[in-house]
Amino acid sequence: MIALKLAYKNLLGAGLRTWLNVTILSFAFVLIIFYNGLLDGWNRQGKRDTINWQTGQGQLWHSEYDPFDPYTIADSHAPLSDIVLKEIHAGNLSPILITQATAYPNGRVQNALLKGIDPNQKILQLPSADLNNVQEKYSAFIGSRMAEAAKLNVGDWVLVRWRDKNGTFDAREIQIAAIFKCDVPAADNGQIYISLSVLQEMMGLENEASILVSNENFSQKNIDQWVFKDLDFLLEDFEKLIASKKGGSMIMQGLLLILALLAIFDTQVLSIFRRQKEIGTYIALGLTRWQVVGIFTVEGGAHSILAALLGAVYGIPLFIWLGKVGISFGTPDMGITIAETIYPYYSVRLVIISLLIVVFAATVVSFLPARKIAKMKPTDALKGKLQ
Amino acid sequence: MDIIKIENLVKNFPVGKGFFTALNDVNLNFGKGEFAGFVGPSGSGKTTLLNIIGSLDTPSEGRAIVMDKSVSELTHKQSAKLRNEHIGFIFQTYNLLPVYNVYENVEFSLLLQKMSGSERKKAVMQALEWVGLTDKIKSKPNMLSGGECQRVAIARSMVKKPQIVLADEPTANLDSKNSHHILQTMKKLNEELNVTFLFATHDEKVMKYLNRIVTLEDGKVLSDKQNNLKL
Ligand SMILES: Nc1ncnc2c1ncn2[C@@H]1O[C@H](COP(=O)(O)OP(=O)(O)OP(=O)(O)O)[C@@H](O)[C@H]1O
Ligand SMILES: [Mg+2]
Repeated sequence: MIALKLAYKNLLGAGLRTWLNVTILSFAFVLIIFYNGLLDGWNRQGKRDTINWQTGQGQLWHSEYDPFDPYTIADSHAPLSDIVLKEIHAGNLSPILITQATAYPNGRVQNALLKGIDPNQKILQLPSADLNNVQEKYSAFIGSRMAEAAKLNVGDWVLVRWRDKNGTFDAREIQIAAIFKCDVPAADNGQIYISLSVLQEMMGLENEASILVSNENFSQKNIDQWVFKDLDFLLEDFEKLIASKKGGSMIMQGLLLILALLAIFDTQVLSIFRRQKEIGTYIALGLTRWQVVGIFTVEGGAHSILAALLGAVYGIPLFIWLGKVGISFGTPDMGITIAETIYPYYSVRLVIISLLIVVFAATVVSFLPARKIAKMKPTDALKGKLQ
Repeated sequence: MDIIKIENLVKNFPVGKGFFTALNDVNLNFGKGEFAGFVGPSGSGKTTLLNIIGSLDTPSEGRAIVMDKSVSELTHKQSAKLRNEHIGFIFQTYNLLPVYNVYENVEFSLLLQKMSGSERKKAVMQALEWVGLTDKIKSKPNMLSGGECQRVAIARSMVKKPQIVLADEPTANLDSKNSHHILQTMKKLNEELNVTFLFATHDEKVMKYLNRIVTLEDGKVLSDKQNNLKL
């Protein structure tokens, strides 16, 4: 208690120097929270978008299906059993049939995945319902990235070639009925969506699908030859991406923090050197040396409390504002899931963890020089003649 | 019963490869309520002796027994407690805490003791009354004159009603008027509260107030005389 009061008075008494340290430390503090909040916001949005546009709440994969091995795709499909159909009718599962295809937009060649999707599905946000409103049987919708890469517009025809269940090549013109925009490149790049029943017919695979997308009500995870892939699995890559961004940003945050800590360390060394007489006086008044070490440690550590307060003064309005307007990233097409505008997400956990880190670090760098006090002879301290 | 007993005390300071003997076979006793002082040329060992009595330092040989405790045998914690409860220090340079006001400076050592807030306040106000500074309780040390600072320091040392007050050149930075003022204050407290005062001084003015003068030279007691007060 005495130490806190003394710390407070000494810090304010030191004026400019204190505020310099506190300001740098508050920058570090605010930056750490800002950057992690940004990544957390990205993480939340990215996962939500991926769930909404691509993965659903989990997927049942045909046991042969491996998205990273194109050769498996031709064989990974199975008829929909009664149990599966029941779940589909209940709206808990949505079947997708997938095959490799080649598109020839405007005379160029492009590999694509042809996906048959149920026009009435509600699990994914994909505009599959648009396929209900078309005259043309061979209608497709694609994402804006795909549209741009293939230079396709709504109403355009594109020649698509695929293999049916017997491996025989077939080809036909398909009309683009709709173009959607989403933040999940994996649901967009190289994907052509057509009606499930049309694709089944094109491939001769009546009533078959490659994967089944589930919603949150789907609970029966073991059905026939389907393997359930949960969100941990489906979002693993995205999770890793965020983790690597966090790792990369730690260097910058760490440097700023170290800079602030060095300033505090320096202040401590100087203040202990300059205030030897005061240290001697404390001991003469009946404090033990370690209590004096405590006083100086608390004083240095209290920089972090002031930094948190100062950081809060400009940080909270800044964060609230950024949380409202978001941070615009334009449309950076890096093949990663990122929204045009990210709304940073500041959790209590993030703030508390950052606070603990900053307070702990500031206390440690304050303690290290203060330890020297315990080795001082009080008579020398009173004379102020130590080096 | 003597409150301070110094027996065959030697203090050596390491200097280079050898030693410098700052106190050499000192034997002295002080009874409760004495108003005594060490005088002698610069470097004669006055401060060193006061520091040992205040358990800020320890003897190299011999013993210093303060309130029945041998200072060389105290742990850091015990000697801190002894100082906090029973020994007041007054320094030439006042050594007030610059960030604290007069009241807080005086209050400080009481905060280390178990004492209720109202008791503490009473004690602080009384100490400030003794030194005549009740009207400056909110002032910071840098707003006070040297004499006022030293009066605050006296109040700080007296507030805990110590057994012993050790004053090292308390008047060296004061003019004669202020010197007399603080000496009168200390003499009064000595008489009223029966507190033992030990001074280290060069100052003739101080010597006039002392009941007993111990003269040191080269770390030895040269003379130890009762002083007939000529006030
Ligand atoms: N820490 C130390 N290391 C080495 N020598 C010391 C130390 N402290 C004191 N001395 C020496 O011991 C001697 C006595 O010092 P002390 O401070 O007790 O003298 P003093 O009588 O108080 O002098 P003054 O009147 O100048 O204050 C001096 O010669 C001094 O140089
Ligand atoms: Mg001296």
